[in-house]
Amino acid sequence: MIEFRGVNKWFGALHVLKDITLSVEPREVVVVCGPSGSGKSTLIRCVNGLESTRDGVLVVDGHRVGDPTTDMTELRAEIGFVFQSFNLYPHKTALENVTLAPIHVRKIARSAAEEAGRELLARVGLADKFNAYPSELSGGQQQRVAIARCLCMRPKIMLFDEPTSALDPEMISEVLDVMVSVAEEGMTMMVVTHEMGFARRVAQRVVFMDAGAIVESGTPEEFFSNPRTDRSRAFLGKILRH
Amino acid sequence: MLENFSFRTIVEYLPLFGHGLLATLWLSVVSFAGALAVGIILCAMNLQRSRLSKVPAKIYIDAIRATPLLAQLYFLYFGLPRLGVVLPELVVGILALSLNSGAYIAEIIRAGILSISRGQVEAGIASGMTYTQRMRFVVLPQAFRVTIPPLLGQAIVLVKDSALLSLISVSELTRAGQLLASDRFMPAEGFITTAACYLVLYYGLKGLAALSGRWLGVQSVRSGA
Amino acid sequence: MIWQQFQSLIGSYPLALRGLGMTVALSLISLVLGTLIGFALGILRTGGNQLISRVIGAWVDLIRGTPFLVQIFLIFFILPELGIELDAFTAGIIALSNLAACFICEIVAAGIRAVPTGQVEAALASGLSRWQRMRQVVLPQAMRMSLPPLVGQYVLLIKDSSVVSAIGLTDLTRVGWLVVQRVPNGLLVFAIVGIGYFVVCYPLILLARRLESRMGAAHGEVQL
Ligand SMILES: Nc1ncnc2c1ncn2[C@@H]1O[C@H](COP(=O)(O)OP(=O)(O)OP(=O)(O)O)[C@@H](O)[C@H]1O
Ligand SMILES: [Mg+2]
Repeated sequence: MIEFRGVNKWFGALHVLKDITLSVEPREVVVVCGPSGSGKSTLIRCVNGLESTRDGVLVVDGHRVGDPTTDMTELRAEIGFVFQSFNLYPHKTALENVTLAPIHVRKIARSAAEEAGRELLARVGLADKFNAYPSELSGGQQQRVAIARCLCMRPKIMLFDEPTSALDPEMISEVLDVMVSVAEEGMTMMVVTHEMGFARRVAQRVVFMDAGAIVESGTPEEFFSNPRTDRSRAFLGKILRH
Repeated sequence: MLENFSFRTIVEYLPLFGHGLLATLWLSVVSFAGALAVGIILCAMNLQRSRLSKVPAKIYIDAIRATPLLAQLYFLYFGLPRLGVVLPELVVGILALSLNSGAYIAEIIRAGILSISRGQVEAGIASGMTYTQRMRFVVLPQAFRVTIPPLLGQAIVLVKDSALLSLISVSELTRAGQLLASDRFMPAEGFITTAACYLVLYYGLKGLAALSGRWLGVQSVRSGA
Repeated sequence: MIWQQFQSLIGSYPLALRGLGMTVALSLISLVLGTLIGFALGILRTGGNQLISRVIGAWVDLIRGTPFLVQIFLIFFILPELGIELDAFTAGIIALSNLAACFICEIVAAGIRAVPTGQVEAALASGLSRWQRMRQVVLPQAMRMSLPPLVGQYVLLIKDSSVVSAIGLTDLTRVGWLVVQRVPNGLLVFAIVGIGYFVVCYPLILLARRLESRMGAAHGEVQL
């Protein structure tokens, strides 16, 4: 579903992605972790073309990303992206946020889109917030609207960039619960997170990055109980201490 | 057609444009100084508690802002003689520019003073300063910094506005263009040269604004550190 | 004496109405044209094409750097030399629309630039096309920021329309100038002219202030 083959990326002189090779199978959930600045966001943003790569091959859903013949707008419609800072549209209500892309990109009738949108908002526990503006919602509620916004496009892949790290602790679980239920329905997911509980519950694989390279990759059990490198041991020591 | 655009005539009239440029420059400087004085007085009146000083300032500022400078200029030009005050056109022009820009400058200074956070003022109160001391040592130095860029913006506006003085036959830059246009029937040569001279002043002031921005930026970083 | 002047002033009310009509027509037409062109330029200015953006920026700078009076003279006296015949009214409309478009371009561009990149990224990620991103996500948010300065710009436009009296258009200011030749009381005549402008401009100034303070309040909400 997602395949990186020897992908490199530079920001000016900074080599942020080093020879990345990684593949994500359909219905697989892959968690990406690593220290700050290791390139996790950059990696996941490459998948839907928010960042461009310089060399190597990146194939998503059978289309080469960055290839001039690939219609990125079309491809992006098939990929949901959940941001760390939610990025809800402040001038639109929760329901309007959810239905905007289905109406304009998928060309679904407004009434049908709104029905689907209400259903999804109810599913993420926001049945009473259809007409609330983002500024009237808590962080956890906003992030759940953002997830519903992606789901309403019926995407084939969902990408999450630290979806819970901007949230107060008591709101983290409400968002993780939604993500778990999405994963259990068989969605293909790439999730940048340090929530190891989430990784243990639903991830098939954990990928550990450091300084722009994939250092280690394995099942959550392997990775947590028996990290193979010094760097991953040091990293786990730090995040598990909390 | 412009194929017989005559650079020779422009060169011939260059001394006139030089004089015009200088006239525009110095009358703008004088008007800006006047406008600063008017602005400071208006702003001081506006910031008082007493309605007696506040209301007239507000009315004056709104009246100036809601009417065109040209109408204000004619008001003085045709109106002052009626009151028995006969002044040279140049003085009427400078008066109009000062009175007009003063209203805008009053608002700029007021915004600068109001932008100083409540916390700064309270810190002044807490350390036992009087109103005057707080203004002198806490508010005004900081307000000064934020008002410099918009004041330079107003200076640019004033320089351009001064072109209207040509309509009451003050000899300045635009008048020079008009003379060339009417003496030799060469409006293209006249007004393109005029425009070029204004652009020199514009880019000069803009450069100054950028410099002051950098300088003030450096200053605030220093004081922030 | 004053009474006679008053009577003769009242006698010139048809002329005054014509002048007011001319001022309103000039302002309104160039307001609409300037807004349309200004928005288009503002969108192009922030679009990807560096060359277009630079050219627009340079043009805006030229217009911002020269007095409006000189621009009117240039248009009115030079376009005919280039073979484009035009009357004073058309010249006035061209000059005013161009002026408004340039200032509105910068207002709109500033509004667009102030929209956080995350908003554009969210729109990109959900597959909205370039125009849809602009129309649905960026412009509505940019508009919110641009509205107060836009209204302020309209006030400037109405006031600047007085300058076209210099090429002989009988607008409100020109009417004052004509009347004062017959009724030698500049204070009275131009006070009335001023009131004419005030009646049109002051409500707009109040509107701009209200929009601004409302926006300040909205910002407070967001910052929470
Ligand atoms: N637009 C950019 N321009 C230049 N450098 C960038 C840019 N975006 C990211 N970087 C740099 O690239 C490196 C990787 O950044 P990235 O955001 O992918 O890290 P990350 O692993 O997501 O970190 P975090 O956990 O802090 O989010 C960092 O050193 C960062 O400073
Ligand atoms: Mg990141």
